[in-house]
Amino acid sequence: MLTATILIPLLGALAFSFLRLNEPAYRWLACGVGSAPLLLLAAVWLGFDTSTDAPAFQYVVDYPWIPALGIGWRMGVDGIALVVATMSALLFVAAIAWPAETRGRAREYYAWFLFLEAVSLGVFLTLDLALFYVFFDLSLVGLFFLIGRWGHGDAERAAIKFFVYTFAGSLAILLAIIGLVLATDPLTFDMRTLIAEQALAGMDLRATLVLVGFVVGFGIKTPFVPLHTWLPPAHVNAPGPASAVLAGVLLKMGAYGLIRIPYSMLSETFARYAFALAVLAVISILWGALVSMAQRDLKRRIAYTSVNHMGYVLLGIAAAATIGGEQAARQMALTGATVEMVAHGLITGALFLICGAFWQRTGDYDLEQYGGLSQVAPNLTRFTVLASFASLGLPGLAGFVAELQIFVGAFSVYPWLAAIALLGILITAALFLQMLQQLFFGELPADRKSFGDLARVEIGVLAILALLIVVIGIYPNWLLTPISSATALLTAGF
Amino acid sequence: MLWLVALFPLFAAVIVHASPMQRRPALGATGCGVLLVTLLLTVFAGLEGWVGRFAWSTPLQFEVVLTSRSVVMALLVPVIALPVLAYAAAHERLQGLNRLVSLLLLFVGAMLLLVIAADLITLLIGWELVGACSWALIGHERQRVSHAASARYAFVMTRFGDLGLFVAAMVVFRDTGTFAFAALETLGGPQQTILVAGIVLSAAAKSGQLPFAPWLFRAMDGPTSVSALLHSATMVAAGAYLLIRLEPILAQMPWFGPASIGIGLATALAGGLTALLQPHAKKLLAASTSAHYGLMFVAVGAGYPEIALLHLVAHAVFKALLFLSAGIAGRQAVSFSLTEMGFGRVLPITAVATAVGALALAGIPPLGAAWTKEMMVTAAGHFSPWLAFAVMLAGALSAAYAMRFVYSAYGPSANDSSATSRTTETIATGSLAATSLALALLWLPGIQQALGGWFATPFPAPPAWETIGSLLAVGVGLYAGLLIARLHPALGASGALASCADWLGLPFAIDRLIGRPIHALAQRCAGFDDAIIDGAVRRIGAGGLFTARVAYRGLDRLADGLPEGANRWFALSGDDSRRFQTGLSHHYLAFMAAGAVVLAIILFVGR
Repeated sequence: MLTATILIPLLGALAFSFLRLNEPAYRWLACGVGSAPLLLLAAVWLGFDTSTDAPAFQYVVDYPWIPALGIGWRMGVDGIALVVATMSALLFVAAIAWPAETRGRAREYYAWFLFLEAVSLGVFLTLDLALFYVFFDLSLVGLFFLIGRWGHGDAERAAIKFFVYTFAGSLAILLAIIGLVLATDPLTFDMRTLIAEQALAGMDLRATLVLVGFVVGFGIKTPFVPLHTWLPPAHVNAPGPASAVLAGVLLKMGAYGLIRIPYSMLSETFARYAFALAVLAVISILWGALVSMAQRDLKRRIAYTSVNHMGYVLLGIAAAATIGGEQAARQMALTGATVEMVAHGLITGALFLICGAFWQRTGDYDLEQYGGLSQVAPNLTRFTVLASFASLGLPGLAGFVAELQIFVGAFSVYPWLAAIALLGILITAALFLQMLQQLFFGELPADRKSFGDLARVEIGVLAILALLIVVIGIYPNWLLTPISSATALLTAGF
Repeated sequence: MLWLVALFPLFAAVIVHASPMQRRPALGATGCGVLLVTLLLTVFAGLEGWVGRFAWSTPLQFEVVLTSRSVVMALLVPVIALPVLAYAAAHERLQGLNRLVSLLLLFVGAMLLLVIAADLITLLIGWELVGACSWALIGHERQRVSHAASARYAFVMTRFGDLGLFVAAMVVFRDTGTFAFAALETLGGPQQTILVAGIVLSAAAKSGQLPFAPWLFRAMDGPTSVSALLHSATMVAAGAYLLIRLEPILAQMPWFGPASIGIGLATALAGGLTALLQPHAKKLLAASTSAHYGLMFVAVGAGYPEIALLHLVAHAVFKALLFLSAGIAGRQAVSFSLTEMGFGRVLPITAVATAVGALALAGIPPLGAAWTKEMMVTAAGHFSPWLAFAVMLAGALSAAYAMRFVYSAYGPSANDSSATSRTTETIATGSLAATSLALALLWLPGIQQALGGWFATPFPAPPAWETIGSLLAVGVGLYAGLLIARLHPALGASGALASCADWLGLPFAIDRLIGRPIHALAQRCAGFDDAIIDGAVRRIGAGGLFTARVAYRGLDRLADGLPEGANRWFALSGDDSRRFQTGLSHHYLAFMAAGAVVLAIILFVGR
């Protein structure tokens, strides 16, 4: 099942090379193919066993591939992988369905999107470290083309910066993987074995170096301050849907990778440096929020709030890893971090799609050039207000469920850090309200009179995301149950 | 089942907003109908003893209950919201009326949620939703960018207070593993201090106490009906209500009483002075709101939360009334400046209603608000006679600005414009005035005993000197207010007094000491982020490019004229590298090479 989840969009992308259709047909076909993983993952979700004695990884597939190296086509999900992958699949459908400016190259555009979907889901679904690395790198390739070819402004430059910067992170991860895997005997890339063996336990220097490799690599991807500066230009110049996927899916790979690999496979070493990571998280939270507040460019502003939100995720992960905290609190922190990944994916995904709507209508991201849009675009106003409030953590919406648990959980472990990090939700409140004020309130500038409200498809896509944001905010039980089944195991070890 | 009390108006708000309803009668009738059902649900819930439980996960459990204190508040909210919503449907601009009515219903639902909450998370949810509603309501007139700025100011300032509740929740969970109010009593040591401090901070911010009071002034940009509800039964009331609800836990901290009294008294006196100096009708009432909630803080701090609750009720009735009548006068005058008003002759019915509200604000017996105010003096006297004096002084100020307000707005001025008030407006103000009068029953010993029985605590008997002193102070205040209104109607409109009238310069100080520095800091950080952090990355990138160029030039020379040289070179290097291949490293090199090839292809194709 999980194999099909990856292969269907991958084969779909290949098949697109041989098809000759008109543009809407490409889009709807891509939508159809892209929805298959979502449906499959929904089925997996329904069949997922969350009882306490259920195996950690389910729906496992294990075919030997390069037996000499212990590499195999290994697939499987735990609660965290399941929810993050499902959210990603949904966001891909939303991004594909979003009306895009394909510049006459619809075939390539949608083929790259399907390719990116396949490899992105691969990152979350694989249980083999070598495959993980391959998927992780291929996701860069997919997005590189989407930004470079269909971006605007200085798109190529931004794409190259994005690629080279994150590829440097990938190399750090590769070295770390090698350092980790070489400690196993017999050699294996099987994540389950690596988690069970804790191969580097007790090897101080080597374990630390491997950890640094992973943290730098995933830290660039997540991104944490000060490794974040590739993100704003990549976002600004990317087309809206690619931006949504970048923020919603690709950033999650960093945080997910941290949980799946160093957190699980180097528990002891990771725990030792958990405090440093928590400090880094608080810096990211505050820095991301403060810098975001000073941005005049709509997309840069939202890009920096991603730095802020991923800081919350890191705080939750770091708190969960700490030795000596109450298990209930650490589990809550990790659950919160995972919910934040889902919530941020949906919320920021929606916000970047909205940015795309702005660009398509005016070709301008400068906040100062806008005003009074609530008069001409009431639906756009509604969705933007909802997404902004969700992003600033208003109760009743998804972000609150995540942030509350992160703060409460982290406070039990690092009271001071959690208390300082709280200031983040105050600054985000100020910056989002300022943004809403600038966009939608006041007089409508004369050259914005013809600004069109959202079209039907746009409303449909945003409505689905908004509905999920609200449902998670009010009744997140269905989401928390699978996550808790995984976080209970992940925090039980100490 | 108790959830229904809060959820019904919340869902009704969504449905009303989704409906195509645009006309005044339809919106007014629907809104009032929803509130009426909410009221009946609350009554029924109280009689049947409904409770509610709900869980997100094992640690995140929610609970709602009605206590003897919270049921009073839960009834008050729809009772006040009813006339206010009817007025809103008749008075406010037709454009966006559907949104306004929906938001008011949302506001009521969120407030009820925090009133019935029996754990910190439910409380926090209602608490923040109320804040978000107030943002949308204050910025209701979207064409005015200044209103949006005010809405943001209010939201951010009150959210700063909300952080106190976040901290409280965090502390409680750390020590007890739950968020229930029942667990709060079990805390001890520094955790208890943090808990109480967090709650007091949240309450002070929400109730417009010092130093947060200026947000209430900015909130005056909202429509009048919004101010009427926000100041009486929702939002601002939430702060004082929280202290009243949790007083048994808070009072365990010995410093809570003095702290609450200190904050409350400072706000009551400063707010009284600010209100007296205000020539803007709504701002005068806004400062008075802060001042009266300050008095409630004093009563809670002195150990009499029931008295504070009763004053909250009396205040809600007269303050909603006064805002509504200020709105009518403001529409006639096309301004909220007191000097432009004076509609006593042309709007006699509204004038009478306003007078009832103003007398209640001033604390004149036999109005019920006078009894609750006298009780607060007595409560303060139990703490210290000096405190009783201070509360009397605050009462005198209250009488003075009440007089100034009613005399200027509805006094016998020569204003003879053809003023009218709409029937619904008259009914709304009239019913609030009647309720205010009905509260005079509080003076009856039988009622007092019944209330004492309800709260299971008798009310203290006021010493004679306090009553006499307090009434004297009110009399002096009334006279002073009358003098100001007649002789200096524009007092506080210009000059140094004008800056005093703006919370004694506090907003200016906040802007200079907090607002601007933070924005400057944000700019600095953004500059640093760009120039230094990204600059370092760019320099590394440039260094890489430079090295590559140098290397390429060397390679170029080699390849120039040797078209197949490059090929041979690659083959050679391939041979060379093969020699190094021993065992497993071969595979890793293969990996890296594959990565490099992918990179090369991409850089080539992506150009």
